[in-house]
Amino acid sequence: MKKLYLVACIMLSMAQVVSSQSTGVQTGTKRPNIVIILADDMGYSDMGMFGSEIKTPNMDALAMDGVRFTNFYTHATCSPSRSMLLSGVDSHLNGLGNMDEFTAPNQVGKPGYEGNLNLSVTTIPQLLKDAGYHTYMVGKWHMGKSPDKIPAARGFERDFSLLDGAGSYWDMTNFSALTPNSLFTEDGKYLTKLPKKYYATQTYTDKLINFIDADHRDGKPFFAYVAHQAPHDPYHLPRDWRDRHVGQYDYGWDMLRAQRLKRQKELGIVPDSTNLAERMWFVPEYSLLAPASRAVLGRKMELYAGLVENMDFHIGRLVQHLKDIGEYENTVFIVFGDNGAEGNDLAGMIAGTPGTRDYLYFAMKWSQTDINAWGDPGSYVGYGAGWAQVSMTPFGQYKGWLGEGGIRNALIVSGPVNKRKKGSINNGLMSIADIMPTLLDIAGTEYPKSYKGKDLPPLIGKSWKSVLAGESESPRVQQDYLAWEVFGNRAVRQGDWKLRWEFTPLGKSDWELYNVADDPNERKDLAAANPGKLKEMLALWDDYMKKNNVIIPSRSPFEALYDQLPARFPVDAGYPPLINKRQYTPPKELMTTPKQ
Amino acid sequence: MRQFLSATRSLYLRNLSVIALVLVINWPNAALAQGDGPRFYWKGLNGTNAVPVIGSSLSGNANPMDPSHNVFPGASFEATMAMVGYAKMLPVFKRAGLVSVIMPMGRLSSDVTVGAVNYKSTARGFGDPMLQFSVNIIGPKPIMNIPDMIRYKPKFSVDLLSSLAIPIGEYDNSSPINIGQNRWYGRIGAPIVWQLGAWVPGRRTTLEFLPAVWLFSDNNDFVGKKMHTEPMYQVEAHLTRDFMERLWGSLDVTSYSGGKATIDDVEGNSLNNIGVGGTLGYHINDNMQMNASYSSTINDNNAEDLKMDGFRITLIWGWHKMIEGMQRLKNE
Repeated sequence: MKKLYLVACIMLSMAQVVSSQSTGVQTGTKRPNIVIILADDMGYSDMGMFGSEIKTPNMDALAMDGVRFTNFYTHATCSPSRSMLLSGVDSHLNGLGNMDEFTAPNQVGKPGYEGNLNLSVTTIPQLLKDAGYHTYMVGKWHMGKSPDKIPAARGFERDFSLLDGAGSYWDMTNFSALTPNSLFTEDGKYLTKLPKKYYATQTYTDKLINFIDADHRDGKPFFAYVAHQAPHDPYHLPRDWRDRHVGQYDYGWDMLRAQRLKRQKELGIVPDSTNLAERMWFVPEYSLLAPASRAVLGRKMELYAGLVENMDFHIGRLVQHLKDIGEYENTVFIVFGDNGAEGNDLAGMIAGTPGTRDYLYFAMKWSQTDINAWGDPGSYVGYGAGWAQVSMTPFGQYKGWLGEGGIRNALIVSGPVNKRKKGSINNGLMSIADIMPTLLDIAGTEYPKSYKGKDLPPLIGKSWKSVLAGESESPRVQQDYLAWEVFGNRAVRQGDWKLRWEFTPLGKSDWELYNVADDPNERKDLAAANPGKLKEMLALWDDYMKKNNVIIPSRSPFEALYDQLPARFPVDAGYPPLINKRQYTPPKELMTTPKQ
Repeated sequence: MRQFLSATRSLYLRNLSVIALVLVINWPNAALAQGDGPRFYWKGLNGTNAVPVIGSSLSGNANPMDPSHNVFPGASFEATMAMVGYAKMLPVFKRAGLVSVIMPMGRLSSDVTVGAVNYKSTARGFGDPMLQFSVNIIGPKPIMNIPDMIRYKPKFSVDLLSSLAIPIGEYDNSSPINIGQNRWYGRIGAPIVWQLGAWVPGRRTTLEFLPAVWLFSDNNDFVGKKMHTEPMYQVEAHLTRDFMERLWGSLDVTSYSGGKATIDDVEGNSLNNIGVGGTLGYHINDNMQMNASYSSTINDNNAEDLKMDGFRITLIWGWHKMIEGMQRLKNE
């Protein structure tokens, strides 16, 4: 009888736990909703609360209602970042060991290099759905297009998704002759056309609001992955958002970087001792440019700013809607960019050579080059390396590279799980892969060792639970390290030290060592001066390679840059005097007219 | 640096090409016979120079060289004309302004009866040069530099226009039909350019109006008589549309009213006529544009109605010192 009683008690307890996890209502405490807002290629300093002049009141409000994190790392490019976000597993194990667009010959067919989020991993939405959450996605997916890889197959109960990595914001036009159309899914079905009055950022927001409303009455919490296409190029935006900064950027990227850094210091984002990273040597000093060049180049930044502001506006719509339905206070928001700002010429990579197949495709579909057409369908605008450095103030480099400018991102976390002072700043070492264990903690569930009969790779992320609770300053201890590899560029960070290998000429095609606490802009290579530390860091890299199946690619989009960019030289202000000296004015008393 | 500047220069020059196209089409034409025409009041970069050469072939019952279009019922006029001019764009009190001069010339054959006397004659030579000045009073600020040009959109633009013809053209007081008019005349008007939709070459659309009033001094030696002409009212309207970056067309409507002439107390008739037609324009290169037009009066069934039709070919050369210099450097 005693045994029977004990069994009954245990079963009753289990039932109560399951019931609580399933609904939350019966226990009187609903688990928080979770909203991830991912801005594509948004740079570290592009939000107002991280130093920008771009107006982002809605994201800034989330920052002031939560915490800003200054030491948050993503990956250097889109799909590896997203794969680590959704799986918590290193990109080389989860299928995005390289971008699908650049899989090297020696990586083809290798596990971990499928070019999509492979089936050896599970996902945040899958685990949260199992734990009783509604799971929604809108926006860019970029992790596979086959039926078993689309958002609906990876745990999203509802979705409206762009499966490609980029495309028109206005229609289904994509970038190459062999892939002329973007692919979209809605609720697990491939779309044959887009909704009427489609504009990416607006439509994504509309769809998500509809998803939330459709299930609101059942009392379950929701997880929403808002993967905005903005502000990734091409810069497509409504006409009334294009002229909010006319002429503002004509004074150039050098001054703007300085202004943003000044504001970052005032805000406490960076220490007062921080200097700007060296301007890229192939980016001209802005003062040398003619007014017309400044106006044309400045226009690109005007559009970028408008695109960010438009995105912020629609984020505001979502936030306001959650307030209207009484869900805001019970919602965790996580806001960040997926990699550094885009300084590479994507259009040029695809269609750069006249007479090629894709050049002809661009001539047909992407040739609205007049400045007054910028922002329209058929235009292709990206702002280039000069402005990308502005977005990544104070850091050097940008998307695709493993300098801090390629992998560091601004991060905002707000909501009921945050017990730190609202509006505060944290400098803990954070990773995009941390989001998986963090959300599982928030949802009250765990990462399983296996899923549907398959063993799962280990998580590389660490939960932010203690940091958000104010119990610690970093989820990592000094011995923990982060590491990256993409396109053959490599890096490791442990504590204040960073080891980096990058292709010439942005790197040296050799290992470089930096103390990023003292030198956040990686100006001083300490490898020669610190052979012991170099050796330690190299051991970490070897450890990372072994554990994560890293295959250094035999081909890379950066392999020939040494022949495309000018030889690298230091960038010294005012050099050469030949073109920087001003007119000499002799003393008036010594001036005269010529003798006849 | 070279690569970046090369890319910047390429973009810069592509945009300059568009800029240059805009420069050469801003030309106010003297209102002889066919109105000023479409796109004549578009603005250009301050300092731009332009030279038009306009060839016309006209026929009807009024002297096409006489802006009053004095109708001689039953008359027959055949004219082959050319006009050559010069214009320069400059700021006027921080508004866009334009000063221009145009010289008409040509040959005019006529068969006309005045006061029971029939005249068959051919006149040839130079007409009265016309000076014209316009200043923008409503609309964007003047285009003082290339960044201004890059950002320029007319939106809704209104100018104030005044012109004056100097009566020094060929004149034979024994003939009622002459190239010159032996009197001062001019107009005051308000050309309007209304941007419809996007301002993107290849997609631009404008609705343009030119209301104006022509004023005439007396001709005291019109075949030995005195001719007095009342003010004439002109309204032009054009709906223009780009077909491609370099090719555009327009529907043209011109209306004339008033302008009653009195010759030694013998009153003529007031005008009340409408002409319709079309124009095709093509930018031949960065400096040269060509337009081809045809128009004809339509409410001209009565003998006293103005009856006229004609073809016109316009070539305009435009240039600006800075752009020319950049082109020279580009060609090195």
